[in-house]
Amino acid sequence: MKAVPAWLRLWSAYVRWTARWPALAAVVPFVPVVVLWAVVAESGIFPRVFFPGPMEVIRSFGKLMYNGILPAYLEDSVVRLAAGTAVGMALGIPIGLLVGLSDRAHKLLWPILLFFQAIGDIAWLPILLIWFGFGLGTMTFVIVYTVLFPIVLNTALGVRSVPLELHRAAQSLGATRARVVWEVVLPGALPNIVTGLRNGLGYGWRALIAAEMIVGTSGIGFLMFDARRAGSVVEIMLGMIVLGILWYIVDSWVLAPIERATGQRWGLVTR
Amino acid sequence: MRRHNRLLAAVAFTLPLFGLLVAWEVIVRAFDVNQRVFPAIGPVLQAGIESVQDGTLIRHIGASLARIALGTLIGIVLAVPLGIVMGVSPAISTFVTPLLRFFSVLAGIAWIPIATLWFGYGFGAITFVIFNAVFFVVAYNTLLGVTSIPMQLRHAAASLGAGRWQVFVEVLLPGALPNIVTGIRTGLGFAWRGLIAAEMIATNVGLGYMLFVARDFYRTEVIVLGMIIIGLLWLAIDRLMLAPLERATIERWGLVRRA
Repeated sequence: MKAVPAWLRLWSAYVRWTARWPALAAVVPFVPVVVLWAVVAESGIFPRVFFPGPMEVIRSFGKLMYNGILPAYLEDSVVRLAAGTAVGMALGIPIGLLVGLSDRAHKLLWPILLFFQAIGDIAWLPILLIWFGFGLGTMTFVIVYTVLFPIVLNTALGVRSVPLELHRAAQSLGATRARVVWEVVLPGALPNIVTGLRNGLGYGWRALIAAEMIVGTSGIGFLMFDARRAGSVVEIMLGMIVLGILWYIVDSWVLAPIERATGQRWGLVTR
Repeated sequence: MRRHNRLLAAVAFTLPLFGLLVAWEVIVRAFDVNQRVFPAIGPVLQAGIESVQDGTLIRHIGASLARIALGTLIGIVLAVPLGIVMGVSPAISTFVTPLLRFFSVLAGIAWIPIATLWFGYGFGAITFVIFNAVFFVVAYNTLLGVTSIPMQLRHAAASLGAGRWQVFVEVLLPGALPNIVTGIRTGLGFAWRGLIAAEMIATNVGLGYMLFVARDFYRTEVIVLGMIIIGLLWLAIDRLMLAPLERATIERWGLVRRA
């Protein structure tokens, strides 16, 4: 019998461990990347100033955590994104319902919605700066604008995917229009609304970073751009890593569970 | 008859946009809006004609489109083969999925600061930002596409005597194509925004630069002109090129997944 090679045994151990703790599978793949990063940085192929190693980034993480800059900026970014998303949803879902339910509203608004979505959040920055100056108004407008359109478009799609028979069945059982919307249309559109929220957050997130870089006075985007001005690659890399981890957390702890829950609970309607 | 219908649909689509133009003019006149806050249609048209005549508009559009074309092309050429190769083995694909997800989240705008440090302000940095916006999203979607191909199809092709290369070209590539095209569409969406943002920060030619410089002089008519052009260009790229491409590939090859 041939001996099992060591790497295969290692691999099967990895598979067993990740089956027991799925969180491990999300962390371990980064180990070789970090090691490679450290080796390349140590080897001095690139000038150290342009390509610092992981240790320097961790050290600067410690420093910025200690003097409170990083937590404060992180809070600013997250609050902005959360507030913008909340407003975007509060506006977007009703508009989406309207566009999805009324044929006339659909004909009238659909081309306009597509056009304004195409202009894209970032292209609004210059004129927003004229309107609101460098501040919170500009930032909030950009995020609301970005989050709004994916939610409106997807809500409308979801509403239109609810079969007509379900409307009629509810109506013939005596439901009023409001109840049909509340108990048939909205749950039926929910999986699409969540998809819209996910897309909107994906774009809103990037818009926030861009806005913080261009107009910012605080936030992770500002941290990175300020570091760029000072020529500090370490802090730029730190900012990128924080952004990536933050999104990872939002995505897998907030969005994915909602998506799974709505898909399981209400997804059947669309079929 | 069908042609007639399509014409009618096109008219029905553009009619609300004309309504918007009329509303714009009426509101600007009725409330006597300051030109520095929002321009009327006249000055915007005039700015358009002027910038076409002195050639600046064409130069800006050309620069933006050249950057996005080059970055996207390099991104796709590298990402598709890599995505397929990584997707072939289930072990490798489960291992690299978290990595690709992490980097596709960062793709685009978040790279602007470091790209401008590495490549300096200008063409290199912007193309790099577009390249990585497209690259990671496309690679991730390609990987998803390949892993969604049923094993039976690959075994069937292999047992019919297909070599590695043939399986690659005739099973894996077509099977992953719908996902690849969806990835390209998403990636380009991020890249387009990244392009505008990068041009505002890091260059002296391009649509984003045109907008941002106009801001310094409070020339709202140029800003609005630029916004309309950016909107129309993206509508043309997305609705006239990418959406039909996506629909066609899903119709033609999407079946593979249901097999």
